[in-house]
Amino acid sequence: MSFDLSLIYESIPRMLSGIGITFQLMFLSGLLGLILAVILLLMRISGKWYLSWPAQVHIYIFRGTPILVQIFIIYYGLPQFEFIRDSVFWPILREPFGCAVLALTLNTGAYVSEILRGGVLGVDRGILEAGSALGLSARQKFIYLTTPIAARLALPAYSNDFISLMKATSLASTITLLDMTGIARTIVAQTFAPYEVFISLAIIYMILTWIIQKTFGRIEKYLSRYVNP
Amino acid sequence: MDAVTGWWDDYFWGSMIVLQVFFFSLILMVLFGLIGAAAKLSNNRLAQKIAGAYTVIFRGTPEILVILLLYFGSAIALTSIAQVFNPDIKFVDVPPMWAGTIAIALIVGSYATETFRGAFLGVKAGSIEAARALGMSNLQTFIYIRIPEMWRLAMPAFGNHMLSLIKDTALISIIGLNETFFVAKQAIGTTGEPFTMYIVVGGIYLAFSTIITLSVMGMEKFGERTGKGAL
Repeated sequence: MSFDLSLIYESIPRMLSGIGITFQLMFLSGLLGLILAVILLLMRISGKWYLSWPAQVHIYIFRGTPILVQIFIIYYGLPQFEFIRDSVFWPILREPFGCAVLALTLNTGAYVSEILRGGVLGVDRGILEAGSALGLSARQKFIYLTTPIAARLALPAYSNDFISLMKATSLASTITLLDMTGIARTIVAQTFAPYEVFISLAIIYMILTWIIQKTFGRIEKYLSRYVNP
Repeated sequence: MDAVTGWWDDYFWGSMIVLQVFFFSLILMVLFGLIGAAAKLSNNRLAQKIAGAYTVIFRGTPEILVILLLYFGSAIALTSIAQVFNPDIKFVDVPPMWAGTIAIALIVGSYATETFRGAFLGVKAGSIEAARALGMSNLQTFIYIRIPEMWRLAMPAFGNHMLSLIKDTALISIIGLNETFFVAKQAIGTTGEPFTMYIVVGGIYLAFSTIITLSVMGMEKFGERTGKGAL
């Protein structure tokens, strides 16, 4: 066993060529997942059972099963049905990229919606009462009082979930997508040098985690600029 | 669903393997978490640094990468050790179950380190002073005061760690563990019904996580049976 430095030198640029796919997966499903999470949240706090139930079922299923199973059901499972292959969604579901984005979106949406709900529940009652006293309508209270405070409260947990999402993009390599992990696995299959390749890839991911943490830390500081003088 | 008929027994044994991995990794996870928390709370600079590196590394890398590295890495390491004694050996195979169990225990253990650390810090100083006043020794304080109080604080997050463990077992199928996911792949090969087979896997995992969620809720209730005033 030897540690081949030249192999690291060669493989890092090759792996970094997959960082585009990793970023695309991360930002696309992060954005779509956030939209889904807000919709699920609004459905849950709507107070109408026919809206809150489907949202709860979605959250229960997607938080209760491994993301790998979700990816495989969408990528390998759905084409089993004729009507899906005939539908307008087929161009998306045919591609591993579309399937990965769909699975990650549905998954992260379920988790983030719970985080946002925690933020909404954490808003101080007194503030809402003050809003009522000022004559704000329920909608105005939600937009001007609940939303900014809940966003601030939910941000630390959200940053952790965003890191989980970044790590989950590596699972796209299991459905033939050549993201950084996919490329690393190809290199290992050719050279059989798991230490060099996987450790350097782990360091790349750790740097990404660090960047995400720092960025969210800055946003947190900005959002709480009136709270902690 | 007719296609599943002949595969129920395979799914059952696959689920047993999931449970087996879950229990062994749960024990290891608690162990790693407690050692990590103890190191972070200790006065030893080196222990703090090592525990800090442990949590940064395992919380910052994708799970699948840790599993792949531990599996292939340990195979290569063991092979080169074996070749020292017997040069004829070409390859030492590491059981995916053990590489996978240790890998997911290490990953979730790094999260548990932070949970346990926070929970130990959350034990009220007043409780410990009260124990001292009653003449309890350090060990007695630890067993009768710190552990029960910390356990209640850690329970909600610990429940999430258990859910992560059970869900991470699915990833071990990537290195060839013969669990439900692997069974589904074989079943698809003969029946050609991927959706049905993977839905069964999803159902099995959903059942497991439901059981864990319910038992954590039960344990939290049990912890609060003496009333909120106790904490």
